[in-house]
Amino acid sequence: MSFLQKQSKKIEKLFEKGKPLEKFYPFYEALDTFLLTPGNKTKKAPHVRDSVDLKRVMIFVVIALIPCIFMGIYNAGYQIELAKGLTHSLLGCLGLGAWKVLPIIFVAYAAGGFWEALFAVVRKHEINEGFLVTGILYALVLPPTIPLWQVAVGISFGVVIGKEIFGGTGMNILNPALTARAFLFFAYPAQMSGDAVWAAVDGFTQATPLAVVAAAPKGALATSVLAEAGYTFKDIFLGFIPGSIGETSAAACLFGLVFLLVTRVASWRIIAGCALGLTAMSMVFSLNQGAESLAFFSLPAHWHMVMGGFAFGAIFMATDPVSSSATDTGRWIYGFLIGVLVVLIRMVNPAYPEGVMLAILFMNVFAPLIDHFVVQKNIKRRLVRAEGK
Amino acid sequence: MSNFRIRKGKNIKLKGAAERNIVDISLPHQLAVQPQDFPGLKPRLAVKVGDVVKVGSPILIDKDVEGLKVVSPASGKVAEINRGEKRALLSIVIETDGNQESESFQKFTKDSIATQSREDITNHLLNAGLWPIIRQRPFSKIAKPHANPKAIFVHAMNTEPLAPDLDFILENSFCDFQAGLDVLKKLTDGEVHLCIAEDAKSKALTEAKNVQTHRFAGAHPTGNVSTHMHYVDPVHKGDFVWYVEVQDVLRIAALFLEGQYPVERLAAVTGEGVKNAVYVRTHVGAPVSSLLQGSNLDGMRCISGSILTGKDIGAKGFLRFYDAQVTIIPEGGKRELLGWLVPGFKKYTFSKTFASAFLPGHQVSLDTDTHGSDRAIVVNNVYDSLNTLEILPYFLLKAVISENIEDAEALGILECDEEDFALCTFACPSKTDVGGIIRQGLEMIEKEG
Repeated sequence: MSFLQKQSKKIEKLFEKGKPLEKFYPFYEALDTFLLTPGNKTKKAPHVRDSVDLKRVMIFVVIALIPCIFMGIYNAGYQIELAKGLTHSLLGCLGLGAWKVLPIIFVAYAAGGFWEALFAVVRKHEINEGFLVTGILYALVLPPTIPLWQVAVGISFGVVIGKEIFGGTGMNILNPALTARAFLFFAYPAQMSGDAVWAAVDGFTQATPLAVVAAAPKGALATSVLAEAGYTFKDIFLGFIPGSIGETSAAACLFGLVFLLVTRVASWRIIAGCALGLTAMSMVFSLNQGAESLAFFSLPAHWHMVMGGFAFGAIFMATDPVSSSATDTGRWIYGFLIGVLVVLIRMVNPAYPEGVMLAILFMNVFAPLIDHFVVQKNIKRRLVRAEGK
Repeated sequence: MSNFRIRKGKNIKLKGAAERNIVDISLPHQLAVQPQDFPGLKPRLAVKVGDVVKVGSPILIDKDVEGLKVVSPASGKVAEINRGEKRALLSIVIETDGNQESESFQKFTKDSIATQSREDITNHLLNAGLWPIIRQRPFSKIAKPHANPKAIFVHAMNTEPLAPDLDFILENSFCDFQAGLDVLKKLTDGEVHLCIAEDAKSKALTEAKNVQTHRFAGAHPTGNVSTHMHYVDPVHKGDFVWYVEVQDVLRIAALFLEGQYPVERLAAVTGEGVKNAVYVRTHVGAPVSSLLQGSNLDGMRCISGSILTGKDIGAKGFLRFYDAQVTIIPEGGKRELLGWLVPGFKKYTFSKTFASAFLPGHQVSLDTDTHGSDRAIVVNNVYDSLNTLEILPYFLLKAVISENIEDAEALGILECDEEDFALCTFACPSKTDVGGIIRQGLEMIEKEG
């Protein structure tokens, strides 16, 4: 028995039934299994189990997010230096960015973790690793200027209302990170959108690429409007643009995508569905483009994909297995409709040029309905076979 | 003949396959009858400790079904009657006297089988105590005698890890097998379906007559009887079908042709914990220790059956009634530092989250560790590719958990058994006992009638 195991055994006694810390057993379990694999044995058939567990799956999502975290930190610093007119240095940007972003991540984990642990203690279940993902996803879709108290309020809403009141992990209908983000958006619109929220410098405003296109005159060509505002495809793709912390860089999201697809942690059907839906819908609009149509009509699909939160949303948010469709056919439909809705919201709703968050939440609500039809088809086939015998 | 190619499922290539070599095991000192091996049996003891029995003497009599009994595989004395919780009967151990003196039953020739009525054949099987080898779906319990099933399936393909090679077992038994099939044909107005592997070579299988032969190709659980039924003649509400294992067809033949209760069992002794992984010729209800020939069992788990569906019987246990396989694997339970982070070149997984998943496949060594703790079901896309039936396991689970019998039936629970979901349980990152939940659902439906 290793040193760690001995220590763990010693501490476990404090958390056993009838001991003073009994109520806090979930804390012990979380820490203990974080350090050492649980070492449980199967009790009946099947006598063997796959090496993978939920902890590893969840940690893999967090690993996939590392490029986004780094780019988010760098870009937050970069936008500040840009606003102040400073010269850019890699370390300078990372330092400034970390100063802004790390507290947000910390508060998101601390406040959300508090609720997660509270419910675990009260409802007597383990602390679920899913929170590691929710916490970081939530932090990455916030603007870097957000006040920290709002970070805490938002994630509290997301965890409690978005997840725990439905019965906790695995039971929620909506993606908790997006629920938290949507709550902040509607509760504190001034701090969550508009031109002033993207760089942490007072009095400095800059429109996001989506806002630039939304504000363009009718009939204008979207790409030239963007070029006039100083946005090149390369900048938008790499992520040197104002926006939420983690979602500006489509390039960083692509790294995450490759990792998630190679390890098969995320459903490729959903991601492919999102991309297809977005392409199809933006093509429909570009075919109907005229002198009187919105500038958005002329925005090609590959621009849609790198702008705003689409790449981040499609890869990390839409693929949450709990709140998405649970059938293969359903996953295609669910993804496709998210893509369609993203374009639709971006174009038709001038007040809110970013459609990804609402599109995914909307489809979260409809995922069970999509599944219902797929399941009914399966049931029907069985009935037909039974009658045809 | 029809062919089915199943694209879903997955094989676990476990270390310790049995060599194609038969070792004869002499009659052990003890043989056991274990009431819990017989699903659906309501056993009443027909013997007490000290009674002298012959091969074929009744040991257990069913309380409800007239004529249904389980008989002794040995002649000798009843040595122990073991009970467990709530006085449930665990085992009746018979001390063998070495003579194997047998009750004698009527003998038939191959031709005279054909002239027998269904009633006579049923009574003969019941009387000789061989009826329990016929099981029915739904619910996988002993078939109800004198019923007319819509079909009988002969389970002549097995894709479980290290499962015995049926071609090897059937070598030199062509004649007998056909006689067994002829008996089964008498028991139904429907068809007898012989479901064999695509690459089955044994003539007993490939040249069988009076049956519908179906060839299946695919990974586990393609070899499960549920898969065969699902594609050939599915079980719907109100239907029932019967199924029989290959070796039990041989035993039927032996009973009819030789007039004695057949006790021989060919079993594969497998797993990396075994010194000599070979086939053994032994007896029904043999103690596992007699089959292992000096293997060291410290820190090992003795399983009657396969790693996916077998039962942990311990080093002193007995082979289960329907099993033709023993698997010995090491126990797990070692705690590892930061297991969620290690690259895992030697960690076996169906997922792609360990380095081993990207290395060329080879035979794997598995222990009984769960590799994780129980969690809520979060990842719901692992089950679909591991079940060969056209059902939706995730939704079926939900229906059972919410005790919605109507939905569970509509989603096809009557076509399944616990064993069909062993791979789902294996692969679930939340360590959900998928098969166990399905069994609960089936029990619930059976109870409600």
